[in-house]
Amino acid sequence: MKRYDLIIVGAGPAGLSAAIEAAKKGLHVVVFDENLRPGGQLFKQIHKFFGSKEHQAKVRGFNIGKKLLAEATQLGVEVQLNATVTGMYLDKEVIVKKGDEIFHFKGDAIIVATGASENSVPFKGWTLPGVIGAGAAQTMMNLHGIKPGKKILMLGSGNVGLVVSFQLLQAGCDVVAIVDAAPHIGGYGVHAAKVARCGVPFYLSHTIQSVSGDEKVEKVVIGAVDSSFTLIPETEKTFTVDTICVAVGLSPMSQLFKMAGCKMDDNPKKGGQVPVCNEWGETSIKGIFAAGDVAGIEEASSAMIEGKMAGVCASEYLGYCSSAEQAKDLENMAKDLDSLRQGMFAIKNRGKKIETTMEGIPISTNLLKKGFLSDADIKRFSPTKKIAGVHPVIECTQNIPCNPCQDACVRHCIKIGKDITALPVVDTTKTCMGCGLCVAACSGQAIFLVNEDFSSDYALITLPYEFLPLPQKGEKGKATTRSGEILCDAEVISVKTSKAYDHTALLTMKVPLAMSEKARFFKKVKSYA
Amino acid sequence: MKETKPDVIVIGGGIVGNSSAYYLAKRGLSVLVLEGSDFIGNGGSSRNGGGVRQSGRDPRELPLVMWGIQNIWPTLNSELGVDVEYYQKGNLRLGKTAQHLKILQNLTDKAVACGLDVRMIDRDEVRKINPYLSDEVIGASWCPTDGHANPLTTTLGYYKAARALGVHFITGEKVVELKKVKGKIHQVITENTTYTADCVLLAAGYESRAIAKTIGINIPVRKLKIECLVTEIQPRMFEQMLGTAEADFYGHQSKHGSFVFGGSTGLEPYETDNGTPISSSIGAPCICRGIMKYFPALSRAKIVRTWAGWVDECADKVAIIDKIDEVPGLFVSCGFSGHGFGIGPAAGYNMAELIATGESPVDLTPLRYNRFKAKI
Amino acid sequence: MHSINDRNKEIGKFIPAADDDLIICRCEEITKGEIRKAVHDGMFTVTEMRRYLRCGMGLCQGQTCAKLTKNIIARELNVSPSTLEPATSRSPMRPIEMKILGKEEVNKNERD
Repeated sequence: MKRYDLIIVGAGPAGLSAAIEAAKKGLHVVVFDENLRPGGQLFKQIHKFFGSKEHQAKVRGFNIGKKLLAEATQLGVEVQLNATVTGMYLDKEVIVKKGDEIFHFKGDAIIVATGASENSVPFKGWTLPGVIGAGAAQTMMNLHGIKPGKKILMLGSGNVGLVVSFQLLQAGCDVVAIVDAAPHIGGYGVHAAKVARCGVPFYLSHTIQSVSGDEKVEKVVIGAVDSSFTLIPETEKTFTVDTICVAVGLSPMSQLFKMAGCKMDDNPKKGGQVPVCNEWGETSIKGIFAAGDVAGIEEASSAMIEGKMAGVCASEYLGYCSSAEQAKDLENMAKDLDSLRQGMFAIKNRGKKIETTMEGIPISTNLLKKGFLSDADIKRFSPTKKIAGVHPVIECTQNIPCNPCQDACVRHCIKIGKDITALPVVDTTKTCMGCGLCVAACSGQAIFLVNEDFSSDYALITLPYEFLPLPQKGEKGKATTRSGEILCDAEVISVKTSKAYDHTALLTMKVPLAMSEKARFFKKVKSYA
Repeated sequence: MKETKPDVIVIGGGIVGNSSAYYLAKRGLSVLVLEGSDFIGNGGSSRNGGGVRQSGRDPRELPLVMWGIQNIWPTLNSELGVDVEYYQKGNLRLGKTAQHLKILQNLTDKAVACGLDVRMIDRDEVRKINPYLSDEVIGASWCPTDGHANPLTTTLGYYKAARALGVHFITGEKVVELKKVKGKIHQVITENTTYTADCVLLAAGYESRAIAKTIGINIPVRKLKIECLVTEIQPRMFEQMLGTAEADFYGHQSKHGSFVFGGSTGLEPYETDNGTPISSSIGAPCICRGIMKYFPALSRAKIVRTWAGWVDECADKVAIIDKIDEVPGLFVSCGFSGHGFGIGPAAGYNMAELIATGESPVDLTPLRYNRFKAKI
Repeated sequence: MHSINDRNKEIGKFIPAADDDLIICRCEEITKGEIRKAVHDGMFTVTEMRRYLRCGMGLCQGQTCAKLTKNIIARELNVSPSTLEPATSRSPMRPIEMKILGKEEVNKNERD
């Protein structure tokens, strides 16, 4: 039986990051992953990530996955795919199923980074074909190129629900509504705004009453709930759908730790049962570590840093680096991780009633309830004086750790500062050159270029556009408001693509001047010619 | 803690403890059952292969198990109000070599002498009974009145029925000491508090040994690991209970359709765990190979779960079911050595009768606790 | 760590509810009502419930229903779900064919 320095279970962001760190220190590392492709959830993530440059901000998830895999392979890490770790036994032994046989391997140390699985919520009709997890829908679309359905209702307004809803729209599906029993949208406001401006309505404080259909999903009835989540009679709304996507949270897949005898903690804040670990991922069994969602549901950026930490600790445990080196590495990584765990959506701030941003501006409750900023919100967050010529308008109103917009502008028009959770501010002393790099760089698609001096009657709005087929120059359509309502006529002046924009097209449309503060999306008009 | 003193304290919430408690309650006695783990039936009762058999047993326990199959098992569903999934479709103990057949003949002869309906059958007859056997099987012992049942629902069924009769169950109450007061059993001391009763039944599987030690009684059992596995649901194939001449694997197809098998690697006396019984990394693969040698048809069946348990193997491999004279009021029912499920209900009934009336329907003399003698 | 669990404690009677026919364990088709009734039979833990009703014993081994079952039991017992221990996890992590599990090269030496 082969014995490795380090066995890593799971080739997702945490697992690969751990492998890279350990390989850098000279360990012989093998990574087992049950999937056909490595990268874990990264390969399904077609949107741009948040955070800072160090956190791979503005890079699309699957590209991060490619980068990690390349780096790991280059460092000599053995990544074995289609290799399912079926059990973890005494003496740090694992059984791996490969093809039609099993193999026994032992590790001097083992890092388990097996991620999480989707939660379920039962409702009448949930066993009908057509009820699927949002993650499953994402796999179908982004890995296999299959539309999960035609008319879809999304249950759950956390980041998964919001991001997948947008991807469903990109795939050409019709998202009829996003429903959540909570009173507020759980995910980032900018993710919600992306779908709201496409006309998807949000129903907060609502839940699914029943799903019905002959042999598959055909109809869904939702109803309002009160503060104790009890259905309020006579508030039913019916939608014709063929698919219900369920995005109600994730649970760590921590079974391997449990069977090996690690102390476990059933912690709702972490999403479920996790191994008891210290802050570096060491479990109660010496030499067994946890990293990523399996140690507590968070996100890919934090998973990568946790993976690095576990990789460093495994290296020190096995004598491949000194305690001093380990301490230095961990200190930097901890700082890095901490910078991600700030802001409005940080775990430490969950449950707290947040009423203003760090800067003291009252937050938008409309964004939390309906998914878009109201006109009053815009006024509150924007500078009052008119800016001449083309200039960026940033509709980013929640403190989250993110700053690619600041780095994107060569003219330094956009300022965030050292604390990356600060809201970006447009420096009116600098002159915007209208290059649009900030529009493309913003992972939340919350930056627009507005030029109210285009002509006496018209303004130009440049917006990020990620739908195919791209509109053509000269195309006439409609501009919509932030809530997706049709506002006015709009003509496409240009559609710019560039490698630097990384598949975010910049669509510039001409709208009546009076609409310049409201027009934020372009809707194609069906032509019957 | 209960204010009133129960008539009997039963230590151990497995098949033996629960069935004893049930039949005691039916006799009108008040019973308190103390289970050390957090779950009723968490020991061997939930980990075995489900055999309800007479064949292949030591003659000393044959009368008891035969009595159970005649008097208890057939009506257990209606007795408990639970589906114990009892199938009385026979037991095949398979042999592949001449040596195997010799072992089986030996067991068969001993059983026939006790009046059991068991006989040897040849390769053709065994295939008539079970057409799925591999070509390697050359014969078997066949006992038509043997069978299998669901150990989980049976154990929990006795718990449910006993509880409905007023038996008081407490889990998470680990007994650490037994004490006499003025020469008779009186105190049952747990990690938490002290209970008192004039009659105590120790039915705690392997844990009985440590508890009995505290009152000067030696229960000569050692721990042996068994490992089990279960498949996903399969098309209905056969209904007999299966075993082999060397008892290296055994199992059945459950009512649900899944196959449950138990087996061993041969390294059992040297196995350890991590605090709870844990499958070894070589157990399940070994059992699979064993099964496939007898049933190639199951080679594509998917295993969904493996588990392990500790057998409390007694020095002479049969149970101790007895009144302990030197500790008046103490009764012991443990050491079932890996074949306690099928005989459990009968043991429970007979122990209840012994406690309540002083006599049991089946003579339990061969299972006395002071039977262990040196070899010379 | 064991916690004392008195199975005689008062938990009230089983009161039928409108959604008792809702399937909770999809693999084994166990309904909410069956789980609730089983609590009144004495099944106060997820492990006992699993052994009694088979919920969590199907192909997915409880990945879909474990949390749901725990919450139903907790509600019936009128306790917080965090006081109930989740079910045990065992190998194999994914269903595996007997002929695959039985095919291993245990004797192969690393130096071969």
